[in-house]
Amino acid sequence: MCVDDELLNTYLDGELQEPWRTQVQEHLGYCNACRQRLEQLRALHQKIADAVLPDSEIDARQDRVLQYFEKTRFSPSNKNKKMHIFRKKIQVRLVPALITSAAAFVVVFIGAFVFFGNNSQQGQEILPGVASQIDSAHIRQVTEVQQPSLDMFSLEQIVQHLDAMGYAVKLEVKAVTPLE
Amino acid sequence: MEIQSNDERAFRQVYEQVFPILMRVVYHVTNNQDLAEEICQEAFIRFFDKGMEFATLNDAKYWLIRVSKNLAINQVKRKSREMNMVEKLKKYPTTGANHSDGSQVLMEKETRKLVQEAIDQLPEKFRLVIVMKEYTDMDYKQIAQVLHISESNVKVRVYRARKMLESILSQE
Repeated sequence: MCVDDELLNTYLDGELQEPWRTQVQEHLGYCNACRQRLEQLRALHQKIADAVLPDSEIDARQDRVLQYFEKTRFSPSNKNKKMHIFRKKIQVRLVPALITSAAAFVVVFIGAFVFFGNNSQQGQEILPGVASQIDSAHIRQVTEVQQPSLDMFSLEQIVQHLDAMGYAVKLEVKAVTPLE
Repeated sequence: MEIQSNDERAFRQVYEQVFPILMRVVYHVTNNQDLAEEICQEAFIRFFDKGMEFATLNDAKYWLIRVSKNLAINQVKRKSREMNMVEKLKKYPTTGANHSDGSQVLMEKETRKLVQEAIDQLPEKFRLVIVMKEYTDMDYKQIAQVLHISESNVKVRVYRARKMLESILSQE
């Protein structure tokens, strides 16, 4: 009895289990009709398989969709990662620099006491809050110091003031020659 | 090797290997490359956004094929009809000229087109099975796993799909 198409298809796909596989093989050894039918089925399978969408049609689409994910899904974490590395570098570079400057500050601070410690007036300039004596020599009226000066007003305010007083003000910038 | 779907590295690995398979399955089911690309993208978006864990790369692959296969079936009736119409209209004026050129490349293209049109005529359940059998490296057992059907059912569908294709192609 010959092998039916269903069995031949399964055999063709390499999915036929033993003992049927060996039996079909033996049958194909002497049955021309079945061998021919198997070849027809193989040719059909090949024809269908050859119609496969080629890689060349897939590549551009694969890249495009991946770009979509790089833009919408991957980028935030990438940026975080980069930021993290950046921060790390700053931290590593800043720590010794901070220690050095802190040490320098301490040295200058102590040095100031060592050199100017005995001079009370100079000491007072460096540390105004630690004046030792409170007497008339050390107290002065602060309000008197603030004399009104032109520096307290902006140029606009001065011009407005002069204008209100009836002066015609003409402003010129030094060393700028107007174009002829 | 466990796969976390929203981990960029794991995603890239799955994407690189599975995208071409997915694209082929969806294209041969829908006969529309643009629609297939859209569906593949949607399947991978779901894959990433759900943040799932898969025991193996194959499990991730089966999940993706299952999702895109469902998307393809749901959308094919609605979208493919419109888009195919547009593509046919675009191609129409050049078809006549191509027939006069009998080069090998064009013959191959023509055969590919005929085969794909024959696949289009298959009922959905046969189309899915034959596409997976012919255009991916999956065996009966794996196809059965993806489609949640028995292995013997896959075997019968492959046989019947080929029989139908043989009949359609012999008429042309």
